[in-house]
Formats: sequence, structure tokens, C-alpha cells
Amino acid sequence: MEMRISFHEELAQLEESLQVESQLVLRSIRGATECVVSQDVELADEVIAFDDEIDGSCTEVMQGVELLLARQTPVAGDLRLALSVLYSNLHLERMGDQCTTIAKLTKLAADLPPDQQLLDGFREMGERAEEMTRVAMLSLHNRDGALAESLMDLDELIDRANKRVVGRVLELGQTNLEWGIRMILVSRCFERIGDNAVDIGEQTSYLVTGDFREFTDASH
Amino acid sequence: MTQIDAQKLGALAQTDRTGGATEGEAVFRVDDLSVSYSGNVALRGVSLDIFKNSVTAFIGPSGCGKSTFIRCFNRMNDLVPGAAVEGTVLYHGQNLYAGSVDPVEVRRRIGMVFQKPNPFPKSIYDNIAFGPRVLGLKDDLDGRVERALRSAALWDEIRDRLKDNALGLSGGQQQRLCIARALAVEPDVILMDEPASALDPISTTRIEDLMHELKDRYTIVIVTHNMQQAARVADRTAFFSVEVQDDGSRRNGILVEYDVTSKIFTNPSDQRTEDYVTGRFG
Repeated sequence: MEMRISFHEELAQLEESLQVESQLVLRSIRGATECVVSQDVELADEVIAFDDEIDGSCTEVMQGVELLLARQTPVAGDLRLALSVLYSNLHLERMGDQCTTIAKLTKLAADLPPDQQLLDGFREMGERAEEMTRVAMLSLHNRDGALAESLMDLDELIDRANKRVVGRVLELGQTNLEWGIRMILVSRCFERIGDNAVDIGEQTSYLVTGDFREFTDASH
Repeated sequence: MTQIDAQKLGALAQTDRTGGATEGEAVFRVDDLSVSYSGNVALRGVSLDIFKNSVTAFIGPSGCGKSTFIRCFNRMNDLVPGAAVEGTVLYHGQNLYAGSVDPVEVRRRIGMVFQKPNPFPKSIYDNIAFGPRVLGLKDDLDGRVERALRSAALWDEIRDRLKDNALGLSGGQQQRLCIARALAVEPDVILMDEPASALDPISTTRIEDLMHELKDRYTIVIVTHNMQQAARVADRTAFFSVEVQDDGSRRNGILVEYDVTSKIFTNPSDQRTEDYVTGRFG
């Protein structure tokens, strides 16, 4: 006989809200990628404004988890799910912030001469960041620890792309220097979104196994 | 500790008889214990160890045999007509159910506190002094009474009212008086059968704090319906459940999982424990 029905509905609803929030984040990543690649200042403003929606959703989920902990004292799998939702929620919020930073850097660099090769690289990084976010949220939804661990390989690709950016900026020389410096920060933002996706994957792993462990150590 | 697949082992799956202990002295070693009342099996095939200076909680739904089980530790089931206990309970290595063992001496060393506070209709002082007097422990009776009341965190509240009738105390005070009464005969183990279920939240907190303090000197075993109470006070938790025979004719209690409390409430090994503590089955 199922007990505490409303409590479990509440918990499921919170998880659903987190998935909806991830859709907002995906839109933001798409927008941030698009605005930097096409140097579109208007789109950049939209991405910046859109972050309020992500923040609002984040706050709602956080308050929902707070109420749940206060009133229902979840334990075992329920407790792990509540904590996974709480932490993943913060990671999603950070992803939104990275997108905002990309949009702001786009505006700052708008009047400077760009480099097409780097812009093509950002399109690739943006697509990878989107893919990693999808994989992370799917692994959480499906309680799929193996899928979550596959994020490490995806992260390696985005890390490599990030490492190539500095070299390219040095090649550009004096005329593109300011633009290049700003773009190093853009690249870093994409790379951080990938890290946040890995963090969500770690939450999946914790939810499934009950043991929290970092997929990779800091020296990686 | 090895993880055991409950499905493969069937209804009698248990994680570990030591409840995750890697060291410590076992006060009780229970082996294949079954209890029946007039031929009806109430509890079947329980094996576990209870460790010194720790709080061990038994949880589980009604009818799972947890109260039956705790009563085996001081032979309280002897007092129930038709009750039969099979298997062994070793207390510091000695068979508790051996013919040579005096049940009265057992109950002195292994005290019990019940769900409903049951002070005698006597003065506070006489409630505490009764046990020592019966056992002939008459030296420094006043000191003994005071020590017991201090240990039960009651002394400061009633030191000026020792001659008052114990029934005039509040429910929470009465329960602490019963704990003091158990402590007065210098037991080794204190069994508590739902000691706070009739108390308000503040009195409940007092009893729980008391368990934390007392476990340095005593071994405490508690039955509780309140899972959060087990989560708060117990070092180890044993989850009992009800096993229903195929034809539905018989129901008996079994031990499902025994482990450190933090494991039981964050990541239990058995699905039935998970279902119970998360309220998916009750």
C-alpha cells in the first residue's frame, strides 16, 4: 500500500520542474552561442534578460526542496533525490550565468574585428555544451549511471577546444588582441557549462549508488 | 560489508548480523530466534548482535514482532501464557534461557521501560528505592536514589518533592522516573519499548537526549514506531517486517535488514527497507 502519496507527488513535481528549468538553460545556451557566433548585440540583450527566468525557476525549485525537507523529512532514495534536485538546480543556474557572461562579452567585443576560425570553434563548443546538458538531464531522469559517466568523454572534447583558443588568439596578433582576450573568457564560459553538466552527472551517480564521488579530480 | 541481493535470498534476507559493526563487544548474540504464542509464530529466525554502549533501534510496521523481540532480552515473554521461545540468546556469552538462569536476576541486569509510564502509586523516593530494597541494596539508599534521579535528568526538577506522590508528575517526568527506577538497580542494559510514544515533543526530546547520555554507561535497545526517532538516537537500526504465507493464513515477523543507522536512512540495502522508511509501504 502506497503511503505519503502527496509527498511523493511533490517530489516528482520538483524533479519535473528541474527538467523544465533545463529546457530554459538549453535555450539560453543556444542563444548565447548564436549571439557570439553572429556578433548579434540584440540577441545578446535577450539572453541577458532571459536569465531572470532561469533564476526564478531556480528559486522556486530551491524553495520547494526547502519545504519538502522541513515538512516531510525525506530519507533513503527520497532524500537522495531531493538533494540531487537541489544541487543540480544550482548547477543549472550557474550554466545560465555562464550564458549571460557570454552575451555580455559579445556586447563588449561587438565593434572589434572578429576571427572566423574562433567563431566556428564557438559554434562547436556551444553545440557540445547543449549536448552535455541534455545527456546530464537524461541520465538524471532515467537514473542512468553509465550515461552520466559518458559525460566525462564529452567534457574532454570541450576542454580540448578550450585549450586551443589561447593559441589561436596569440596567432591573431595586435589587431585582434582585445577581441581575442574577450573571446578567451567566452571559451572559458562554454568550458564551465560542460563542467556543470558533469556535476549534474555526478548527482545522477549519487542518486543511483548512494555514494558521492567526483568523476574526475581537480588535477585533471 | 557485503551487499546481499534480497530477491535471491528470499524473505529471510539480512545484511549482516553485526549491523555493520567492525569492532565492539557484543552484549547479546541472538541466533535463529523464533517466538510463538499458542503455536502461532510471531517472529521467525532472527540472528543479530547487540553491542555494548550503543543505542540499537528496532523499527517496522505493526505486527512485525519488534516488541516481541525486545521482550526476549529480559525474558518478559516468560510471563505470557502460551509463549514459546526457540533459538538462543547469549548475554555476555551466557545462555539467557538456560534452566539455571534466574529470570529475576536477568531483569535486574536488563531493565525495561515501557510505552506508558507506570510509576507505582507511591512517593517519588519510594519508586526509586523499591528495587534496591527488594534486592537488599540498602547501603546509602538516599545516595542511590539521588544518583538514579540525576542520571535520568530528573533530580533538579523534583529534589524538593521526593515525598510527593509520583502520580502527580507530568507524563514526561513519570517516564524519566521509570528510567531512574530502572537505573537504580545498576543494570547493564536498558530496554525501551516505545518510551516516548505517549509523550509530547519536548518530553520526547528529553528522553532522546537522555539516551545519548546514558549510552556511555549502559547498552540501550529501543523499539520505536517513530522512524525519525530511530534516525536521531540509534547507532544501529534493525528493520523488521511482516511475512505473509502464500495462502495468507499466517503472518509472522522477520528481520529484514540490520545496519548502521546512517546507512538505513540514506541508502538501505534491501528494497523492503527502502519502501518502509520512505513511506511507500506501511
